[in-house]
Amino acid sequence: RYVRQLQRLQLQFSPTAADTRGARQFVEEAALDFARQHPDVVLYINPRSCPAPVLLAEYLNGTVREELIANKTSEEIVQLATKLAGQSGLDIIRIRKPFHTNNPSIQGQWHPLTNKPSTLTVQGPRLQPQ
Amino acid sequence: MVLLSAPRWLRSRVTDRFWRVQEVLKYARHFRGRKNRCYKLAVRSVCRAFVRSTKARREKKRFLRALWITRIEAACLEHGLKYPGFISNLLKSQVELNRKMIADLAIYEPKTFKSLAALAERRRQEGFLAALGDGKEPEGIFSRIVHHY
Repeated sequence: RYVRQLQRLQLQFSPTAADTRGARQFVEEAALDFARQHPDVVLYINPRSCPAPVLLAEYLNGTVREELIANKTSEEIVQLATKLAGQSGLDIIRIRKPFHTNNPSIQGQWHPLTNKPSTLTVQGPRLQPQ
Repeated sequence: MVLLSAPRWLRSRVTDRFWRVQEVLKYARHFRGRKNRCYKLAVRSVCRAFVRSTKARREKKRFLRALWITRIEAACLEHGLKYPGFISNLLKSQVELNRKMIADLAIYEPKTFKSLAALAERRRQEGFLAALGDGKEPEGIFSRIVHHY
């Protein structure tokens, strides 16, 4: 079953600043709908005096992502929040290979003595020196 | 443009020069010498590094193919075959593995590679018989072709 990787979204903004207009509109109108549509994400609204309004996303593997929401409209904040809700907490860097295995070798990895006769490595009483 | 005369221009200053410089220097941090510290030298080096990295994407394909071929050659020499014979006989036996997969098999699955080398050797011998024997003997088993229409 699908487990949403986003744990909590913290919306930190100061209610009197000018660039938090979108955040305030989001809180008034769209926050409840967003919370109802994503029941497994906890949404915290913190009106405090901070220099810039920030949307903090914490994921199950511990990564914390901060997104600035200054001078953004309510719809943009909704889109941003849904994008963050769909992400997992893995770092957004270039994936070097699209595949990965923990057991790359089933028959045993090659080493310089794989294709040599076993008289080189076996020592026993039955072995005659050559 | 809003700032049309010199007195208006002089009233605006650059305040984020530090971050503009850091954007370039962050790609030069692993360079050698003064070009990892000084912006003027770093701009040139970073630009050349980006150009080289875009051009190298085409070279990387050639380089990796040559690496795989070297590895397959080494592996099939251990089994007594040479690379051209190995590849041509595998293709004739309708085994369409690319060099990347054959190289990975040779490293991680040596027994499978040994059986591939044996297959190529058998097909080689049947090819010799078909070329030198001229018609009287029946066709070799491994020389049969399967048609996937």
